[in-house]
Amino acid sequence: MTEHDRGRHVRAGRRPWLGVASAAVLCCLAAGAARAQTLAGSVRSAAEGAMEGVLVSAQKAGSPVTVTVVSDEHGRFRFPDGRLAPGRYALRIRAVGYDLAGPHAVELGAAPAEVALELDRTADLAAQLTNTEWFMSMPGTPEQKRPLLECMSCHTLERIVRSTYDADALVPLLKRMAQYANNTTQGRVQPRIAEREVRDDLAQRLADYLATVNLSAAAKSPAGAAPTSVPSSVPTWPYELQTLPRPKGRATHVVITEYDLPRATIAPHDVRTDAQGNVWYSNFVENFLGELDPRTGANHDYAIPVLKPDFPTGTLDLEADADGNLWLGMMFQAGLAKFDMKTRTFQVFPVQPGLNDSATQQSMVMPRAFAVDGKVWSNDVARQSIMRLDLKTGQYERIDPFKLLHTGHQHSPYGMAADAGNNLYFMDFGDENIGRVDARTGATTIYPTPTPKSRPRRTMLDDRGRLWFTEFAADKLGMFDTKTESFKEWKVPTPHTYPYDVFMDKNGELWSGGMASDRVLRFDPQSGRSVEYLLPRPTNIRRVFVDNSTSPVTFWAGNNHGAAIIRLEPLD
Amino acid sequence: MRTPRLRRKDFGKLDRAWLRAALIVAAALAVPGLACAGGTGLSDDDQGNADEGPSYFGFVREVDGPGVADAKVTAELKDRGALVTRTDILGVYKIPGFGKDINPNDVSIACAKDGYKEANTVRRPQGDPKDPIEIECYLKKL
Repeated sequence: MTEHDRGRHVRAGRRPWLGVASAAVLCCLAAGAARAQTLAGSVRSAAEGAMEGVLVSAQKAGSPVTVTVVSDEHGRFRFPDGRLAPGRYALRIRAVGYDLAGPHAVELGAAPAEVALELDRTADLAAQLTNTEWFMSMPGTPEQKRPLLECMSCHTLERIVRSTYDADALVPLLKRMAQYANNTTQGRVQPRIAEREVRDDLAQRLADYLATVNLSAAAKSPAGAAPTSVPSSVPTWPYELQTLPRPKGRATHVVITEYDLPRATIAPHDVRTDAQGNVWYSNFVENFLGELDPRTGANHDYAIPVLKPDFPTGTLDLEADADGNLWLGMMFQAGLAKFDMKTRTFQVFPVQPGLNDSATQQSMVMPRAFAVDGKVWSNDVARQSIMRLDLKTGQYERIDPFKLLHTGHQHSPYGMAADAGNNLYFMDFGDENIGRVDARTGATTIYPTPTPKSRPRRTMLDDRGRLWFTEFAADKLGMFDTKTESFKEWKVPTPHTYPYDVFMDKNGELWSGGMASDRVLRFDPQSGRSVEYLLPRPTNIRRVFVDNSTSPVTFWAGNNHGAAIIRLEPLD
Repeated sequence: MRTPRLRRKDFGKLDRAWLRAALIVAAALAVPGLACAGGTGLSDDDQGNADEGPSYFGFVREVDGPGVADAKVTAELKDRGALVTRTDILGVYKIPGFGKDINPNDVSIACAKDGYKEANTVRRPQGDPKDPIEIECYLKKL
């Protein structure tokens, strides 16, 4: 069995019951769809005249759905016919360096509407920078900036650079944050139960660096004044703020739809669609599996049983098995969950007591080929090990894939794929390796990536036995051919992108996204041609998914910090 | 005046001397850091551990010929696992090595490339047990 791993649709059962609020939205949108109108217009500024590459977003009052298009080389934009129902729409733009002067809203009636948007230079450029642009702007060596890669998991870099803490104040803050679970967001902080050791010298080194790039020097006030993280006026930094260019040409040929989820605390992590077009997502901080109907914006939560009540909640990896049922890595709840698509019920597989302690963490699950031997793959982040669940006994076995290697290296089995024989391929996110575990013998083969310290993250296995993966710390996309046991690597076009995941679509193009750049990368490994689609809002992307059933294909991802699901439709 | 001509085997000696020196320098520059169980922390540096098994290096060459680039090199512990890498443009491979519990004599090196078959491997004498182990692997054209 080959999987074209995540391109497979999961099979959906009966439609779930929809909440009252969601149903109201459904009626409103469905009624409007029959009388949908066109909105078009122009974008200009005094500084540039007609502007290309400005994202124009329209959100109907009371609707969770925002549609975005991008202005062309003449400064013109047009929403697709049928996308916007009559009503009052709030308008917003994204063009770094600019704010929308007006109009901020438009009334769509029976006839097509035309608006002329005027932009002004922004007074607060820093508020518009992506994490990538902060990485570009901040002085410092790659070694100094490297620890900040972990910060993006919970918050933006803007939060750091706007702080006025000096090094002495930062040290205890860093130590406190190191005790938060990976599945922490600003909306929901989840302390770890098992305390982590943080070396004083490393905390001090990082604090010393951060104090050179934040506002602590500018905020030096009379002795005794308390530090604050909220400067009173628009601040300036002791270095030039650098920005990426606006989209041009092909990067403007796109329609982006954002579906706001009903609670700001929802942190969509992995996203995939089913054959009915519904969207399923793991929730990184709440113990729910989410389902979104993109036709209506309606959301449904399926509560996952809580296994360890005092521990952080939320799930990470969301995978489909060969029967179309969904599986989730339960993180600090310590186990795996299977969601039956017909009965809409969960079966949970807790890690047994002998292997389950206060640090146990299952971020990944790989059920794709369990029919071969009745085994499902997972990991234990805390032990830097592979876990394998025997579905007959419900017992896990621990496999240390690095036991033969030098000790003292930080390893972390992360993204996973299984081949037709249920042999496991995994990414060593902590280091620079791809690993293979033989399903029959348990023997491990380690393949170092050509680029050292690449930190391979998530992966997919295509029909030709090629693993496509991201090299998070190396800013590269990678391919490992499992047949020839050879690698290829491609640098992403924008430095400091730090790609999280990649997906090969039916046309052989790669799609990628991450936590830094607010951009979706589309890359043709044959030609080297790439296009980067800017997203309308700050968007923390984790797992990416491409629906191959549409033409052109449709890209999906979650906004992990923004409680939204993103649909990106290229127009070519 | 004619410059004395170096024979191929002389190049091999120079290559090995250069490689050995480079590896010793690289090992000396290894920076200790934090190893952190959860995969995240305030640094992604590694803690070097001096009490480890030796690393492996060498050339993959054609028999009586030049180094072979992009050849697959497998360092295998029979039935326990393996580490697979590829040679660089000069035909050089480097394998960081295994843990201290692994007897280097149990580690076998094999090389492969399309259009070739492995002829033999030659393990150079090791001075100190902690020194990198040099193993040359020879390929023969099919």
